[in-house]
Amino acid sequence: MKKFMLSVATLCVVVTSCTLDKTDYESEISTVVTEYIEYEEVVSITEDNYLISINALNGTFYKGYNAIRLNITNTETNESLNTSEVTFLPIMTNYNGNHTSGPHQYNLEYNIEDDYYEGYTVFTSESNDSEYWKLYITFSDNGETYSVTQNITIEEQTNMNLNMTAFTASDGEQYFIALVAPQQPKIAENELVAGIYTYNSPTSDAGTFPDPSQFSYSEVEDYTLLLDPRMPEPSMGNHSSPNNQDLIQGEDGLYYGVVNYTMTGNWTLNFRLQNTFGAVIKGTEVSTDFTPGIEGERSELYIDILF
Amino acid sequence: MRTILLFTLLLISTHYSTAQQTEKKKDSIIALDEVELITVIKKKIETDMKMAVSVDEFLASSDQISFIKRGAYAWEPLLNNMSSERSTITIDGMHVFGACTDKMDPITSYVESNNLSKIDIKSGQEGSMHGATVAGSIDLKRKSTPFNLVKQWNGAYQTGFELNNKQFFNLANAAYSSEKFVVDGSLAYRKAENYSDGNSDEVAHSQFTKFNASLGLAYKTSELSSVKVEAIYDEAKDVGYPALPMDLWLSRALITSATYKQVFEDGLFRALDTKIYFNAIEHYMDDTTRPENLVHMDMPGWSTTYGLLSKTNIKKNRFSSEIQLNAYTNLSTAEMRMYPQDRSERTMFAYSWPAVTTTFAGLSVNNAWEMSDNSLLNFGGSLGVHYNHSKYAEFNWIFHPGTPQEKTRLLPSLHTSYHLNIENFDFSVGGGYGHRAPSVSEGYGYYIYNSFDRYDYIGNPDLKNEISYEANASAGFKNHTFSLQAKVNYFYIQNYIIGRILSLGSPMNYQSVGVKGYTALDYSTLFNFSLNGSYTILDNLHWKGNLTYARGKDDNENNLPFIRPLSYQTSMHYKWNQFNFQTSITGDVEQINYSPEYGEDQTPSYTIWNLSADYTFRIAAYRTVVQVGAENLLNEYYSTYADWGNIPRMGRNIFTSLKFNF
Repeated sequence: MKKFMLSVATLCVVVTSCTLDKTDYESEISTVVTEYIEYEEVVSITEDNYLISINALNGTFYKGYNAIRLNITNTETNESLNTSEVTFLPIMTNYNGNHTSGPHQYNLEYNIEDDYYEGYTVFTSESNDSEYWKLYITFSDNGETYSVTQNITIEEQTNMNLNMTAFTASDGEQYFIALVAPQQPKIAENELVAGIYTYNSPTSDAGTFPDPSQFSYSEVEDYTLLLDPRMPEPSMGNHSSPNNQDLIQGEDGLYYGVVNYTMTGNWTLNFRLQNTFGAVIKGTEVSTDFTPGIEGERSELYIDILF
Repeated sequence: MRTILLFTLLLISTHYSTAQQTEKKKDSIIALDEVELITVIKKKIETDMKMAVSVDEFLASSDQISFIKRGAYAWEPLLNNMSSERSTITIDGMHVFGACTDKMDPITSYVESNNLSKIDIKSGQEGSMHGATVAGSIDLKRKSTPFNLVKQWNGAYQTGFELNNKQFFNLANAAYSSEKFVVDGSLAYRKAENYSDGNSDEVAHSQFTKFNASLGLAYKTSELSSVKVEAIYDEAKDVGYPALPMDLWLSRALITSATYKQVFEDGLFRALDTKIYFNAIEHYMDDTTRPENLVHMDMPGWSTTYGLLSKTNIKKNRFSSEIQLNAYTNLSTAEMRMYPQDRSERTMFAYSWPAVTTTFAGLSVNNAWEMSDNSLLNFGGSLGVHYNHSKYAEFNWIFHPGTPQEKTRLLPSLHTSYHLNIENFDFSVGGGYGHRAPSVSEGYGYYIYNSFDRYDYIGNPDLKNEISYEANASAGFKNHTFSLQAKVNYFYIQNYIIGRILSLGSPMNYQSVGVKGYTALDYSTLFNFSLNGSYTILDNLHWKGNLTYARGKDDNENNLPFIRPLSYQTSMHYKWNQFNFQTSITGDVEQINYSPEYGEDQTPSYTIWNLSADYTFRIAAYRTVVQVGAENLLNEYYSTYADWGNIPRMGRNIFTSLKFNF
């Protein structure tokens, strides 16, 4: 009898279960994208009695935008510094010895609540055999200033939702757009966050290396990043989504807008960068025509994403 | 194998239901021989022309029903010229919801003619017994065998072949009845290839295969009560939809119920009938059979419903009343997955129904008061609570930012009618008022491609209830040789839900030309008229005819889509010894009031002529009927106003069938 009931139960499950399984939505949107929310230590440096710990998401520096948290601990007193001026300068040296940097926050800010110094940096390339990155950090304690340097490795950003682009606009300035969020988009309205930066050309000759005035970047103020998201896949015929919002600057200096993704897959964020005076200084308007079978045309200024 | 599975499932549900009914048993004190609890209405599911019809063909013989056809299979029934979301379609009062976003699986496609005894069609608010409706209700009644004092077996087997689409079918049903116990079951299998149109051209992707089985077990728990479990299993495979860019790979439905009936000998309450039910549908569309498609795409859908239905009859003198409680909850999920041309690339996924729950609970009352021997007043109403929840509301927020994830609606309904009979004449007038909630697609649909107007449709969760005001009247004359009846009804529907072009958004499906959102028109009006006549010319020569006309307009006086033009049907029946001869002519006149705004083009008139003959004889003790006939005898090339994408209908079709009754 028991055996019979068991087989009946099994048959019952067989009959009522589906032939094809439903898609698990949560795993569907995380198949190609991993979301990192934990800050982990990327590198720690010992200088005198001080231990400097640099933290970033997933404990890795990636090409593109990286939020940074830094702790400096006096190993003798086991107390962390909170009154120091901390500067942070990443420099990349290429095979012929030229130095460049990327947008970064030079003076890190102290976060009282969580007791760390915070800032950001946009790494413009990955580390490889001929291009390597180094951090130059200074801090002070008890009237004494300390400088440390540290070699770091910049990994490839596999999450295309955190892609970046660098370009020279029609005003002759060099600009950087780095995506900050969403890390893991949904088929939904997504708040799209990007950092827009410009390179400040040095006005004086280089002093002692590393001279921060030679590697100065600033957040672009009060521009607008016009947005037109589309699916480039030929069969999608230049598909777009409704109710998107252009990116405007928020109080924290980053740019905020809304992008609607109507389905998973490859999307192109077509941009046009508009300056304070309303002039478009980079990017072209794309066709809104529905063109099945033809790969969607991209703006001159765009970032491809995938989720 | 399948039947075994079903059988075991039923055993389990019997087990369950017997446990459930023990409490109620104490009510059954009095004995009575009125054990015809399960009344049988012997109206066979067959038309005048054809004895082996599909459910669709049978419904088509009603003058209130027209069809949207997307191929040879699973036609969408339109009641009073309104699409299927405006009517409640139930099986023995059970709500079943199709799992296809493109309405490729109306409930009528999950039953088979040999497991039905009759189909109840009620027009307008009179059909609110099973839940809120605008157009009316279609209730498919499963065949059920009464308890019998003498142990008895009976059955029938029917086989046949239709030449046009090489359809071969086998239908069998059997029943055993005794004083205490009844078991009945049916099996059906149909397999058809592509059909040919009136130009004898094959219509590609019009094949289908369907298997259907049903089983019912009833047990008399006392003189006045019985318990019954029933199940229907339906499986369709490889169903082509010539009017669509996709086909059905597989659909399966499992429809189960357990019923407890109690009859009371006297007192106000005469019967109590309670049913719990469960049904699950899976429906997998894809386009693997369409290599010409630019995008390969899968569109699976699932629909699961749990429900409760309880009804009681009250009778006192000339007053009788039926009260019914309906409650159900349904979860509908549909997905689409598009494959890029480079298959190594990421597939593109979205929900076309983002896991939408619909929960309904309502109480319906229908009263009949025989005011005198020749007049009757019917009145009733219902009040229901309708609740929707969208699990992935972010899909809805793309087009409707910030719309709530849940929505609760109140759905009231009222109706009344007065019937008067004066000698050979009868008259009726009536009116109704009722609300309906938007369907899952209308409320929560997401880029549902409609290949008729070639738009992607987006649902709107904020749609208001559709409110219908209705008036109807009929007049008839009948004597023993001649009858004539005219029926009219008029609907004024507020907040009429229909798709309108959205300026925002671009299509997702490569065949579509734009995006439409479901919006509500201020109102629309619908008028239906039908005239039915019959005449017995000689004792063995009968004539029947009907004429229907309908007109639908939106708030700008534009035509509504899918309104049947003037149509007619006339048939003659002649009986000679054991032979029956039937012939009929049916057709629509030219569609004048078509609706280009909603994607329609003008459909020319057509007339088709059908002919059939059958002969009844006995093989041993078994009554046997053999039938031969032809539909569309003149091989007319035509498509109707409601043929999706103007696909041509079937050309000349010669059919044969053979039926044994045991």
